[in-house]
Amino acid sequence: MESETVENCSSHYPLLDIDSSDSSSGIKSDEYLELQFRVFRLAFLLTIFSVGIAGFFWGIHASASLLVGALSGIFYFRLLARGVGKLGTSSKIVGKVQLLVPVLLVLVSSRFPQLDLIPALLGFLLYKPALIIQFLSMP
Amino acid sequence: MDSITTAASVVAAGLAVGLGAIGPGIGQGSAAQGAVEGIARQPEAEGKIRGTLLLSFAFMESLTIYGLVVALVLLFANPFAG
Repeated sequence: MESETVENCSSHYPLLDIDSSDSSSGIKSDEYLELQFRVFRLAFLLTIFSVGIAGFFWGIHASASLLVGALSGIFYFRLLARGVGKLGTSSKIVGKVQLLVPVLLVLVSSRFPQLDLIPALLGFLLYKPALIIQFLSMP
Repeated sequence: MDSITTAASVVAAGLAVGLGAIGPGIGQGSAAQGAVEGIARQPEAEGKIRGTLLLSFAFMESLTIYGLVVALVLLFANPFAG
């Protein structure tokens, strides 16, 4: 019964199909995938909204930096969710690989003159409003 | 950038990462311990526990990221560099 719901959920959200190690251990649960999906959807909506606002007020330069930062933030959250999904089954600790994402973002934005550091960092933190909204809307 | 500014920036970067990671590290450890114990006691609540753990990890780890960003800015985009 539980495996049926898990399979149904994976078919609804194929992007959230974490990886083979998770699916083999059977830890994916409906609620956890739904939570990830809601946070990703909120983060994408916030990204589109903020990139539009930044492009309108500060130009394409800041808008592109914000977009790169926001995509990095979503990727960071994706890696964190994968680490938490593996916790207790295939791994005893939550990995720290996701911390490489802000490091690479700062390095890339300081090396490339097309990217600004401050909009990229602000964009990276855009996943946090999505988390706060999700946290407040939890029953 | 003169040598004193360079030295101060490197020391400050190390302190920012090192001190900024202590609190979130302890917090994440105890949160993960509680979550794994909770999942072991109540496997039917696994989804809810993992979701709450993910949200709390994201909030805790952002403190580490703040320190990391300050350190990286000091090292690679130092505003005090002449």
